[in-house]
Amino acid sequence: MVTAGLTPPPVQKPRWRAVALVLLWAAIGAGALLLLAKSVQNSGEFSRLQPWILLLNIVGVIALITLLARKITQLVRDYRAHVPGSRLTARTVAIFGALVVAPLLIVYLFSLQFLNRGIDSWFHVEVKQGLNDALVLSRAALDLRVREYSHHTENLAHSLLSTPAEDVAQRVYDERRATGALEMAVFGAHERLIAASFENPLESMPTRPPPDLLRQVQEHRSYVSLEPQAGGEYLIRTAAPFSDSVARSDTRYLVAIYEVPTQLAALSEAVQHAYSQYGELAALREPLKSGFTLTLTLVLLLAMLAAIYGAIFFAQRLVRPVQDLIEGTRAVGKGDFATRLPLPSRDEMGFLVHSFNDMTKRLRRAREEATRSRQVVERERERLAIILARLSTGVVVVDRELTVSIANQAAGAILGTDLSAARGRALPDLTASNQRLGQFVAALVVRFAAGREEWREQIELEGGAAGRRTLMCACTPQPGADRDVGYVIVFDDITNMLQAQRDAAWGEVARRLAHEIKNPLTPIQLSAERLRRRLLAGMNERDAEILERGTRTIVQQVETMQQMVNAFSEYARAPEMQVTRFSLNQLVTEVADLYRAQDPLKHIRLELDERLESIEADRGRVRQILNNLVTNALEALDGVEGPLLEISTRLENTAENAYAIVTVCDNGPGFQRELLGRVFDPYVTSKPKGTGLGLAIVKKIIEEHGGHIDADNRPEGGARVRVVLPVKDSTRTAAAGTRERRDQLRRERA
Amino acid sequence: MQSIVASMLRVEPLHLRSMLIAALLGAWAAQACADALDGVLEVRSAYVSVEGGVFLLHARIEYPVNPAIRDALHDGVILSVDLDARIERERRFWFNADVVDLTLRRELEYHAVSDRYLVRDARSGDQKSFATLEEALTDLGTVEGWPVLVEPQLTPGHYRISVRAGVRRGRLPASLRTLMFWTDDWHRVSEWYTWSLPG
Repeated sequence: MVTAGLTPPPVQKPRWRAVALVLLWAAIGAGALLLLAKSVQNSGEFSRLQPWILLLNIVGVIALITLLARKITQLVRDYRAHVPGSRLTARTVAIFGALVVAPLLIVYLFSLQFLNRGIDSWFHVEVKQGLNDALVLSRAALDLRVREYSHHTENLAHSLLSTPAEDVAQRVYDERRATGALEMAVFGAHERLIAASFENPLESMPTRPPPDLLRQVQEHRSYVSLEPQAGGEYLIRTAAPFSDSVARSDTRYLVAIYEVPTQLAALSEAVQHAYSQYGELAALREPLKSGFTLTLTLVLLLAMLAAIYGAIFFAQRLVRPVQDLIEGTRAVGKGDFATRLPLPSRDEMGFLVHSFNDMTKRLRRAREEATRSRQVVERERERLAIILARLSTGVVVVDRELTVSIANQAAGAILGTDLSAARGRALPDLTASNQRLGQFVAALVVRFAAGREEWREQIELEGGAAGRRTLMCACTPQPGADRDVGYVIVFDDITNMLQAQRDAAWGEVARRLAHEIKNPLTPIQLSAERLRRRLLAGMNERDAEILERGTRTIVQQVETMQQMVNAFSEYARAPEMQVTRFSLNQLVTEVADLYRAQDPLKHIRLELDERLESIEADRGRVRQILNNLVTNALEALDGVEGPLLEISTRLENTAENAYAIVTVCDNGPGFQRELLGRVFDPYVTSKPKGTGLGLAIVKKIIEEHGGHIDADNRPEGGARVRVVLPVKDSTRTAAAGTRERRDQLRRERA
Repeated sequence: MQSIVASMLRVEPLHLRSMLIAALLGAWAAQACADALDGVLEVRSAYVSVEGGVFLLHARIEYPVNPAIRDALHDGVILSVDLDARIERERRFWFNADVVDLTLRRELEYHAVSDRYLVRDARSGDQKSFATLEEALTDLGTVEGWPVLVEPQLTPGHYRISVRAGVRRGRLPASLRTLMFWTDDWHRVSEWYTWSLPG
């Protein structure tokens, strides 16, 4: 039986078992032949061995029945359990059994019929009747002789009464010779011999009368008997009493023995012999039939049981390779190509098994090759997945229904959603919880609906914690035989890059402005002061006033310009950050208290999230952010009735990081609509005295912290600025690292 | 019954093979109840005498008489009447050794032509005729001076003599008798009559 899994190599069945079986059967056959020969030669020997043979037969029958019961039970159990090959075995056994049992039964019935009819034919009614007739005839013929001799003896005995005693012997002699009797004797009382004559001269004493003869003559009755002899002869013994007185004690009797003629005796003996043989055979008729029937039945039983057992045995042996093949095929079906079947023989079945083993070997090799190829593909796929995961560029592969087949980690990060579980789902189904993804999908749908399959464009995404983002998105049909399979969408968040470019440009502008403007300011200021000092004393009051006002204006403007240049310098300068852990709520409170003291008319309301315990950031710079935002807001509240400044903090936990969100709202006029998108750019201001660098510096500091800022107008009126700062510095460094890598990649790509 | 079967097989009842066979053939033996030979069949008495160095066996046996036997004889059946004599030398740690195993075989037949019963010695062919069956059986049951052993056959030791009478039907050849083993109820043997030879 072959089992799944690693199958040991086929083992050649030990030949000694087969040899032993053959020898055993040969010994049994030889023994049976020997017994047969001995029984033919010497029936006595067979009679002596008969109980042992009988015992052997019974043991054989019991053993066969036991073995057969086990085999049949196993066969039935296998059949019910649908064991492979059991049906074939059962069918083969049925065919073999029928082929063997049917002829056996026919021979058995024919033999029984033949024997019974044969035995019956020995005992025809005519034979029996003929024998009886012959017997009657023989008896009649002999009876005639018997009566004749008896009568003669009686007559002779009667005549002896008148014969003198001295003449009795001669008379007996004469009568014996005259009648041809074998023996004739006269006895007196107490069996006293009076006279005797014998045909055989060597005999001197007559045969002793038998007891029944004596009884009869003592009763004064004649006696006659027909006595068969060993050689087929018949003797007629007659006796007749005679007495000359009434006293019984004086009774004498004559005994004569005659021989039946040879021909009559032979015929009678033949009849007797036939009668006896027939009677004996007739008595044996039924026992013989029963004996033959029982013996034949035992032989039939032995033969049938042996035949059925042999049928099962050989059917199982025949079917075993087929069972092995079925098991092997199942094992191969389950993927076990290591299956090797034992070779049953060198015939066609052996060739089939050999072919099966060869097939499994080839399949195993093919599977190993396929496994190796799959491993190579898997490695390539893993490498590709690693590359995709490491890519800062988002890659999404979708089909025509926008069902995602591949989405890397960067795609999820850029779109602000987790796309790891998006595989097999349609992109529109994932947009419910993510506004930015919704805008992205909408942009894709618009382009696909327009029939555009290959494009490269910027896509602007609004909203979300990350604020407004700009994506550079490229779409191309998925390469392959079928161009309608889907699209490969590659996109990159270039917001920071664009911002960096703008920042760099503005930084350069600020540096040059500072450099170019700051240098002439001091001589201008000095010259104006020198002019005022030199000329003021010699001028009239009116001119002096003009000069005074003019030089003061120059000096003031120069100072203003110097402040502006300093602001430019500060914007362009990027000092090292001093990151510490501090309480943002406490810092907000300090800043608010400072401004409350300066301008008590303007109401500042705080709403602080107590969950926000501390953040890791440059405290001085965060204070500068707050100062700038509060200053801007307070300035916007000038002339506003019921000015109110609201500062709130909030802790927001995302799946990856925690962020501190600071929102500064006022009830002032709000941002001008046309400036709303550019409020954080340098030189964008609605204030007459503003440098336009306040919010630009704020934005720069926030981005240096790894956060972002956005600004909009509240629906109820007033401006709202929202600052998002990472709570932990590691987020900033990671974001900065990612940004740097992304910038580096962009530079390399460029 | 067991002993009957054993005796049918002409073996000692206590012998192992007898017990084995008797156990296996018990069922058949039950069927082999000798209805046809119903009646007393036993060795009434037996002894040996020594005359001139020859051991002579004398025995009185009672053979069964019933209408079935009478009818069978009248139908021509011949009855074989056997007397088995066995002399064994006793051994303490092993089976007894057979010294003599003899059978005196005689036949009883009804002679239909003469209306007499014949008793025939199967070996010598000598025969006697009797007017009645009883007389014939009386003659058969009287064994006088049957020589069974001569002194030179004996070595020092203890000897056991066993005598058993048997009756079966006809002069069937042994092979046919074997065949009829299953069904023949005309086959019966008496218990062994056993005694020890005086040392």
